[in-house]
Amino acid sequence: MKNRLNKTVAALATGALLLVAVPVAGFASAGAATKPVYVIGYEGPLTGSANQYGLNELGGLQLAVNQWNAISTLPFTLDIKQFDDQGSGSLSPAQAAAAVAVPNLVAVVGPAFSGATHAAQPAYLAASMPIITPSATAVGLATGGNFFRMVYGDDVQGNADANFLINVKKAKSITVINDGTFYGAGIGQVVSDFAKKVKGETVKLATLPQTSSCSGGIASVAQFAATATVIKHNNPAAVFYGGYACDFANLLPALAKVGYKGLVMSADGSYDAALMTQTTPISAAKGAYLSAANCGSSSNLTGADAAAYQALTGIAPASALYDAQAYDAGNIVVQALKSLSASLATNTITQTRSAIVSYLHANSFEGVTGKIAFQANGNLVGSGKGNIAIYQITGKDLPTKHACY
Amino acid sequence: MSGFFHYFSSHASSFRGEFWGLLVGGLGSGIIYAMVAIGYTMVYGVLRLINFAHSEIFMVGGFAGFFVLKYTIGSSTPTGFSSVLLIILGILAGGTAGSLIAVLLERVAYRPLRKRGAPKIAYLISAIGASYFLLNLAAKEFGRIGQSMVQPYTDHPVFTIFGAPVQMYTLIIFIVAAIMLVGLDRLVSATKLGRGIRAVAQDSETASLMGVNIDKTIAVTFILGGFLGGVAGFLYAMNVGVLYSMGFTPALKAFTAAVLGGIGNLRGAVLGGVILGVVESFSVAFVDPAYIDVVAFAILILVLMFRPTGILGEQIGRAA
Repeated sequence: MKNRLNKTVAALATGALLLVAVPVAGFASAGAATKPVYVIGYEGPLTGSANQYGLNELGGLQLAVNQWNAISTLPFTLDIKQFDDQGSGSLSPAQAAAAVAVPNLVAVVGPAFSGATHAAQPAYLAASMPIITPSATAVGLATGGNFFRMVYGDDVQGNADANFLINVKKAKSITVINDGTFYGAGIGQVVSDFAKKVKGETVKLATLPQTSSCSGGIASVAQFAATATVIKHNNPAAVFYGGYACDFANLLPALAKVGYKGLVMSADGSYDAALMTQTTPISAAKGAYLSAANCGSSSNLTGADAAAYQALTGIAPASALYDAQAYDAGNIVVQALKSLSASLATNTITQTRSAIVSYLHANSFEGVTGKIAFQANGNLVGSGKGNIAIYQITGKDLPTKHACY
Repeated sequence: MSGFFHYFSSHASSFRGEFWGLLVGGLGSGIIYAMVAIGYTMVYGVLRLINFAHSEIFMVGGFAGFFVLKYTIGSSTPTGFSSVLLIILGILAGGTAGSLIAVLLERVAYRPLRKRGAPKIAYLISAIGASYFLLNLAAKEFGRIGQSMVQPYTDHPVFTIFGAPVQMYTLIIFIVAAIMLVGLDRLVSATKLGRGIRAVAQDSETASLMGVNIDKTIAVTFILGGFLGGVAGFLYAMNVGVLYSMGFTPALKAFTAAVLGGIGNLRGAVLGGVILGVVESFSVAFVDPAYIDVVAFAILILVLMFRPTGILGEQIGRAA
């Protein structure tokens, strides 16, 4: 009995010693030869109606981290923690709070969606956390500080979309519909503002709030049929939809059912494989245009990276929107860590995060998406001209053939 | 004030051109609401309970039809008689699944409470719990991404009413709903089973003394309501596809329709559903579509202010 008790006490004591031996910040493990571990967070929709964006981006980040971890001379080891916000602004603050609480989490790639980013920004800012979004494009997000984005914002994409409809397709009247979200309302406004500046353009605006087809939406799907009837009656030359695939998939059939024959376009929120599986019937999507901020040098992963990405994720890189941006976002965080590694051992986590923010502001990088440098507000340097891809749906799959504007 | 009249008159002028299209669309939505509202109103009639899990009966009906058609149709494109058979198959699958879930809910979530004389609040919590259980179970099992229904027919305009196209889909839901609603009305008002349901709705204790099997009658009520809810789910899914949360908004609207028409009243549920669908659709001609739900619920509040028991204001026991 006594012997058993001694063993129990010894086991407890050993466990307690091990616990004490782990540094509070979790930057390094007990052994001197063991590399410190730094965590990069990914926040985005990993479940829910728009999870394809999250899976695309997480794959890109994972590929970057795997490639760095394979380098034996790297002075640290990298890990990823996932924070699933389902693309929702109501869920993202809690995910942000969870991310900043991880003691060795040095930066977040994401959030993926504009509304989620907007809602999470205060929590990240308070923790000096660098957030590098591969895809949140709303204009109002670029407020500087800890925010960086790897794509041009909706001011660039919305103007390119409006220019395409008005000057390329010669549409003389446009109905702009948005889904009432931070993203959808924002890009809808950009398109509307651009169109209003063009003499002779007629612009109508309407909001169709997200329905229960989208995660968190509660509006009635009936709104699409009624709105399509009104659109058919007004017969604008083009309809632009600012919103996500989950509801664009409802608008397209409604327009087809009333016999609307004009141009229909949406932006990167609708460039989602879910659009092709949810539009009923899929023929209703034929001819519609989509845009995304990933053209020219900043398109998808290519070559060996593309093959490795497909092997890792099972997702075809050609239609994996913003995979390359997430890959580059991961890489620039690692470059910052490498450059700062001498001072990291003595830094607190807040100092480390702040140092990365400063490093990203002060330096430029070469990525697979081209040269990456940030303005003070976190936007990419440059006009973005030529970086907006415009696709046309022709079959049952998400289109990959595009032109750059 | 003149601004209001100018706004109204300009929109009224445009509304005239959109009237028939909006009416057809509104009736289509309204019929779906009506079929779901029947389930709420029947259960309320016999148990004085709002079955909040009815939204999941709707969802399960949609998924049942979805899976049956997916594996039956495959990659073919049905036409003609095979389309009719497939639609009937989908209806039976949706209705049967709806009935099964409804009767399961009655046995697991409500009957034990009824046997123990639980307070009404316990029924409410049980209903909400069952709803969330089914919702999350479906999300886990079927995924959280919507899927489009394999079409058992090719949608196209069948005819026009004053220039407004009536699609094959709309025609199908009108025909199916008309058959089911008239059939249910006859069943409740002209059969022994219906008399039992009405008797339990009026006074369950007296009905029991008169030889009506209360448990069986309540179960049948759930089965009937569940069947209509499941079929409505299938019809709805043919248009917008399936998703674990697909039942939430239509069921909320259907509950509103049931209250609007007079909760506990079968014909009231149908009337409420149709009115709600049409008012929603018409409102788009006058206000931003973002207000569609605001208009719907404003109408409900207005009606209830003047007729607190709803438009028809009767209970199932006296409906026929």
